Amino acid sequence: VSPAADPAVISPQDPTLLIGSSLVATCTVSPDFPLKAEDLYWTLNGRRLPAASYSALGPSTLSVALARLNGSRQQSGDNLVCHSRDGGILAGSCLYVGLPPEKPVNITCWSKNMKDLTCKWAPGTEGETFLHTNYTLKYKRRWYGQDNTCQEYHTAGTYSCHIPKDLALFTPYEIWVEASNRLGVAVSDVVMLDILDVVTTDPPSDVHVSRVGDLEDQLSVRWSSPPALKDFLFQAKYQIQYRVEDSSEWKVVDDVGNQTSCRLAGLRPGTVYFVQVRCNPFSIYGSKKAGIWSDWSNPTAASTPRSGECRQQRPPQNTTLRRELKQFFGWVKKHAYGCSNLGIKLYDQWRVWLQKSHKTRNQV
Amino acid sequence: GDSWGIFTFLCAALCNLPALPALNCSEELGAGQSIQQTYDLTRYLEHQLRTLAGTYLNYLGPPFNEPDFNPPRLARAERVPSATVDLDLWRGLTDNARLAANYRAYSRLLCYLRVLDGQVGTAELRHRLAHFCASLQGLVLSIGGVMSSLGYPLPTGPAGPPAPPGAPTAPNDFLKKMDDFWLLKELQTWLWRSAKDFNRLKKKVPPAVVTLRLEARGF
Repeated sequence: VSPAADPAVISPQDPTLLIGSSLVATCTVSPDFPLKAEDLYWTLNGRRLPAASYSALGPSTLSVALARLNGSRQQSGDNLVCHSRDGGILAGSCLYVGLPPEKPVNITCWSKNMKDLTCKWAPGTEGETFLHTNYTLKYKRRWYGQDNTCQEYHTAGTYSCHIPKDLALFTPYEIWVEASNRLGVAVSDVVMLDILDVVTTDPPSDVHVSRVGDLEDQLSVRWSSPPALKDFLFQAKYQIQYRVEDSSEWKVVDDVGNQTSCRLAGLRPGTVYFVQVRCNPFSIYGSKKAGIWSDWSNPTAASTPRSGECRQQRPPQNTTLRRELKQFFGWVKKHAYGCSNLGIKLYDQWRVWLQKSHKTRNQV
Repeated sequence: GDSWGIFTFLCAALCNLPALPALNCSEELGAGQSIQQTYDLTRYLEHQLRTLAGTYLNYLGPPFNEPDFNPPRLARAERVPSATVDLDLWRGLTDNARLAANYRAYSRLLCYLRVLDGQVGTAELRHRLAHFCASLQGLVLSIGGVMSSLGYPLPTGPAGPPAPPGAPTAPNDFLKKMDDFWLLKELQTWLWRSAKDFNRLKKKVPPAVVTLRLEARGF
């Protein structure tokens, strides 16, 4: 039989408190229920609270005193429950104990091909507030009043947001992040930037690594500029990094410039190398500033030739076998009548003949 | 006596034939397959729910995640359709009623789960809930498919009183946690029950049912 009214009422119901604060909560049994204050007990997150902290404030009201509260065990709130003697739940209250948020810091943004803007940030130094904290990224064009709110979160990690469109070029933007939880709000410092200053692009495509003829210590790397380069008035500079197959140390080639090919030299012969290329758009619309390096392309592998590998030398066995077979078939033509009795017997006969002729030759 | 024996033998023989273009069996064949698929889907969801419930109850915190936790079911919690039903009543359900009960229950449960999805705190939980809702939506569609292939009309509108746009939200956070607990419990019970429902239906609608059609042809 489910009761029509709640069996009891707790006060305060779902309070928010600062870490270290104290609280006195009361549980008042509904008049419909035949329970007295002495029939009640409290639990916090499933653990029974000591009777010493209880106090009867009336015939059907029991209070509990909680001192120096720690941060909430779970973000959904600590569960403070008023029970009847047999363990039944009469009422509960969720306690939200924590700290107000800290100013978000380290806001960094980048634009992919000048089409959008993605920003990421870090929560304030303390980080753990024990309460659910909401982050909102806001932006506005400097000197134009309207604040805009970013909508697409978590695109590049937990603390990130993506602005997909309606961004103006050649105009500075003010960007900031607001952190809020039940205990307060904190606003980061404002970052000012122009989209053109934070442009990045896709990594180069079609990266091919190949040998340079027979040269043992060189590899040739070739790639295509990222497609977006065609559309925009920027140049690109490239960087290559490579490593040996079983090493984690990358060597960087910095002075590639804006060519789409490069030759790596001074390599070990007969070794497999992994190569990656990345791109940086610069001189965007003529500005001298560099952009942001793209991601590295997927690694491409190639191996340098081994010493002596490329000489046109066949191992001795191959040549003798060919010569022998040539001789054998030549002999068969002359001495055997058709291919019907071609078989091992014939071959043996030929070997005998060969030895005979060898002897005669040597005798000469 | 004898003629029935011959009749049954013929049915058995015909049931083992792979393709019978002359007999219009496709609808029953479809229903048989769908019932098996729906059964499989309930087992899969049951498995998914175990992980989801574990994570969610940990988020609610103790005592909600304690194994023997059994809070009172308050009046407001009864808006969630209950799976438990009298055994004789359950046995006596017609196929249509059986399917309709499942269809209505999961449609309702899906609504409540979606509301949950909008309110829940952590990103991990939101992700799991979204995934589960998608699978549950698949189950509702699957049950609808079985009903259609057997010629039953889909139950119209939500069962019982329509849930108001915000859903009757609990008056405080603790009661809301209890509602969430019971929602997950009912979901679990329904999935257990559905497996039995579909098992029963499987036996009544085997993969290649030809008997009905043979009768119709005056066999």
